[in-house]
Amino acid sequence: MITVLSDDTNQNIGKRVYEELCAREAEVEYIVINDVNVGPCYSCGGCTDKTYGKCIHRDDGDWIFGRLVRSNIMVWVTPVTWGSYSFKTKRVLDKCALIGDRHYYLKNGELVKKMADNIHGFYGIGVKDHCSDEEKQAFKNLVAENINIMSVDGNAYVLDNDVSEECILKIVEEISR
Amino acid sequence: MKKAVIINLSPQKIGTSAMLGKLCLDFLNKKGLQREMIHLYPHLKDLTPVLKAIDGADTVIMVGPCYIDTYPADTVYFLEEIIKDQTILHDQSLYGIIQGGMPYVHTHESGLKMLELFAKECNINYKGGFVIGLGAMLDGQSLDKLPNGKKVNRFFNEFLNHVAKGENSNAALYGNAQLKLPGFVYWAMAKGMNKMIDKELKEKDIDVTLPSPYLKSEQPNE
Repeated sequence: MITVLSDDTNQNIGKRVYEELCAREAEVEYIVINDVNVGPCYSCGGCTDKTYGKCIHRDDGDWIFGRLVRSNIMVWVTPVTWGSYSFKTKRVLDKCALIGDRHYYLKNGELVKKMADNIHGFYGIGVKDHCSDEEKQAFKNLVAENINIMSVDGNAYVLDNDVSEECILKIVEEISR
Repeated sequence: MKKAVIINLSPQKIGTSAMLGKLCLDFLNKKGLQREMIHLYPHLKDLTPVLKAIDGADTVIMVGPCYIDTYPADTVYFLEEIIKDQTILHDQSLYGIIQGGMPYVHTHESGLKMLELFAKECNINYKGGFVIGLGAMLDGQSLDKLPNGKKVNRFFNEFLNHVAKGENSNAALYGNAQLKLPGFVYWAMAKGMNKMIDKELKEKDIDVTLPSPYLKSEQPNE
């Protein structure tokens, strides 16, 4: 199962990636992040205590994490915001530890965490027209850190809105591989 | 520097970020500089007091926790709101402090890069930042409690000295403060921390072998 989470604000790359995955008959779900209500993580510790493994607050995170926890690959499509994710995207991402393992592991001599056993892929697609090389690199570094800390495979891309179909096909091929 | 505003980007008013903010306050106070600290989260519905504080300052210090390798989502929202009202931006100096659970600076540095790119876009002066690892372990206690506490304290004070003088602070400063240990020590640390987690769960009678509660969750249209 591939889950595409897309902040569709001023971009349609998420939709194009989703449609191409569907055309390949991949098992894929599409979640439009800009329409959902996910509150901030208050770092209250509820998910490691009273409501173990679940956020103490009731919002759209309830069904979004219900879908993510069943996924094998997460594809995050987001406007690039100062080399980072959009606000709406980051609200969901901030709570990803809910579907992760609390324990620590060692990878390349460093401490890391892990996601639920079935999640093995994380792809970050940033969208911004005329994005500077510096900002592209900042976004790619951030996604690389996410991939590392979650102990999954994946990649990062930064695309213009009018990116060619060929480029979308290449990314989809990598994701579905 | 005429006046510094320290903005706590953490949802917690008492915690490691607030403790670091307090260290900034005390340091600037000793130097006889005007300063104030303001917490972001109580003002999320109406940012006016925070925006006013930025307008009245010539130095802005943003201090916050690291959530999945950068500042929390609401920092992005906050920066988006600042940039909407460019009249409050008048050549201020901007510094960042980010603290997170992992001991490595590379895990948290993306947060500082975001502030640097933000500053570039709105023509204010990003003058550097400081990264502190193992911040979650502190839970608001003093930096001395860190295994590399002495080093962190020394380099963090050097950073604050740069802030007080309005100077640039180089990334090498926090790089030097990082805890550097061989892989087998981290392996032993992981074992120890996992043991503590398991003990805590056992005491709370939590069965981690149960499937995620989200596997039971309803779909939005059901």
